[in-house]
Amino acid sequence: MLIVNKLVKRFNTTLAVDNISFTVRPGKIFGLLGPNGAGKTTTIRTILNIIKPTSGEIIFNGNPITYEYYNMIGYLPEERGLYKRSRVIDVLVYFASLKNLSNKDATKSADFWLKKLNIYNYRNKKIEQLSKGNQQKIQLIAAIIHNPSLLILDEPFTGFDPINQQEVKDLILSFVSEGKTIILSTHQMELAEKLCEDILLLNNGKEVSSGNLSDIKKHFGGNNIRLGFTGDSSFLDHLPEILKHDNYNNYSDIQLRDDIIPSEFLKKMIRKIEVNHFSIVEPSLNKIFIDLIKKISD
Amino acid sequence: MKKIITISLWEYLEKVKTKAFILSLIITPLLIITVTLLPSLLIQEDGPKVEVIGIIDTSGIYFNYLEEEFQKHKLPNGQNNYLLINLNKISKTYDGIKRIADKDVVKNLINGYLIIETTEQNSVFAEYRSNLFGNFKVVARFEEALNYFKTKNVLEKAGVPSRVLDEIQDRTIIQQRKISESGKTTDLDFLTTFFLSVVFILLLMMMVVYSGQMLVRSMIEEKSSRLIEMLISSSTPDELLTGKLFGLSLLGITQIIIWVLIGMSLVASSILPVAAFKNIIPMLAYFILGFLFYASLFVGIGSTVNTEQEAQHITTYLSLILMLPVVVAMPAIQNPDFILTKVFSYIPLTIPTVMLLRLNVQNVSNLDIIISLLIMIFSVFIVTKVSAKIFRIGILSYGNKPTLKEIFQWIKE
Repeated sequence: MLIVNKLVKRFNTTLAVDNISFTVRPGKIFGLLGPNGAGKTTTIRTILNIIKPTSGEIIFNGNPITYEYYNMIGYLPEERGLYKRSRVIDVLVYFASLKNLSNKDATKSADFWLKKLNIYNYRNKKIEQLSKGNQQKIQLIAAIIHNPSLLILDEPFTGFDPINQQEVKDLILSFVSEGKTIILSTHQMELAEKLCEDILLLNNGKEVSSGNLSDIKKHFGGNNIRLGFTGDSSFLDHLPEILKHDNYNNYSDIQLRDDIIPSEFLKKMIRKIEVNHFSIVEPSLNKIFIDLIKKISD
Repeated sequence: MKKIITISLWEYLEKVKTKAFILSLIITPLLIITVTLLPSLLIQEDGPKVEVIGIIDTSGIYFNYLEEEFQKHKLPNGQNNYLLINLNKISKTYDGIKRIADKDVVKNLINGYLIIETTEQNSVFAEYRSNLFGNFKVVARFEEALNYFKTKNVLEKAGVPSRVLDEIQDRTIIQQRKISESGKTTDLDFLTTFFLSVVFILLLMMMVVYSGQMLVRSMIEEKSSRLIEMLISSSTPDELLTGKLFGLSLLGITQIIIWVLIGMSLVASSILPVAAFKNIIPMLAYFILGFLFYASLFVGIGSTVNTEQEAQHITTYLSLILMLPVVVAMPAIQNPDFILTKVFSYIPLTIPTVMLLRLNVQNVSNLDIIISLLIMIFSVFIVTKVSAKIFRIGILSYGNKPTLKEIFQWIKE
């Protein structure tokens, strides 16, 4: 379990992280979300002891985090890079032995992951000879090669093509099923939505919202439906049940008054127009986030 | 400790395998050997040839004398060094002779020719003509012979027996000997010791600049690719710094060992006398401490650098500092009390190189050696501490180059 308590990090005049607290539950995926510059990476760096917090504390497995915990944590930084002129296997063994693995175990583990990610035939090649996507895979292996119990992934999907993104996503899920804890930092809300159970939404170093994702959705959800129909949408403008609606070519996203039951609304609509699609829509995390930011700035 | 070893081995192995390092290992000593030994090799190469020299002797009294006199100069193989040819009869006119002789010189048929004319006042005018300047040896020999001839004539006219002249000619040659405190004298060739100091200084300079550049370059790579974050989340900054320093030192030791082997083979082949290495222990001490001092300086400064260009500037400045002893070399040789040399012997930046020089050209007291070595050890310690502080923050500061004020703040933290 990782607890971040009242974390503050100030760089000269800028407040990068402003008094944030959160708990990462073991065996779950925790989403550290927010736009670029929100303070996600700074938060991660303080967790990893790369930079010292201005104030606040970080508790890992019941104790303030120290260098001794390094070997239990895996880290994939946002900006990728490896020793370009070195061999794949050498780089992997180096990073593994920095996590206290013996040379033999390191080689074994490196070979296992190279095979698993289908890049074993690059084992003895120099990093610079690999494609960008494969280099990223190597870096991912470097982060997980020592079988860490806490894995911190900073924007793990950037730079991967859709097929590899799928592969990485499966990998993350398999880690969780093994009981590992994952902190996933990203600005891609759709992906976070699919993977995370708990989230912390950050903006300008401040917490915007935090907690269990489905609770948050329920809380901010409102009464949303998607209605597909043929014909003119102008009739929606005058319905008393509707608070707000966004019209697209073939459908409209509609926010109903809280007291309206969606199925009743559907019955009413069927009588009026030709309905070809109806679904209850949860608000996207993206939408929640944008709404929240708007609310704060208002 | 295990991580320090892992890091230093990585730093060492990854760099020792590079083509650049292997090349430097061989090229550096080759370059130095070439620069220091080539001139003497070239001079020796010049020796064994027979030189054909023409003589235009308008008075007709000098040729026979010169021919006899020049038979004294032998080549190592016993042959005569010079073959003198009388050119008086190759043409009827003086101008004709000169024209033909000039052509012969240009065609390399003769190495050169000497014109000897006696003026009305009985003084001798001589001119040596050849297709190049720098015939110092042969010209000096002609001058000596002609002057001897003239002096002998003058003395004979005055009734002085020629035996007197030979006695006068018996010159006194001053031998140079260096006296050390223990009272021992050495008659080692001054140039050899001086060269050896220069070679050591050059080696130290190239090693520092070369490995420093390598270190800074790899740190720039780690910073720009953010690899440093992976490293710092696996080991403490101190472990990383120590590992890097160890790795660099291993690299330095590899270089030294190979160069020492080269040096030993030079001794074995008696190009360098064993006596040249009598100061080897203090020399090595200065060498190693100097290397450590500069290496830790590089680690500290290098961590603040973000681009190759900045790195280049820093290495240029540092190598200029390393060149300082060359500036004080001549005054230091001529005057052991030269104030600048003394001052440089107490400044950590210049101690290694200046002392390497002084050890061989002056008699440095043991006290001086001990004091400067202590200063060096102390400075290495301080620089490593300060560098570690700069390193800790520097490696994680990207973008703008930090100002001096900021760096001071890091040190104070």
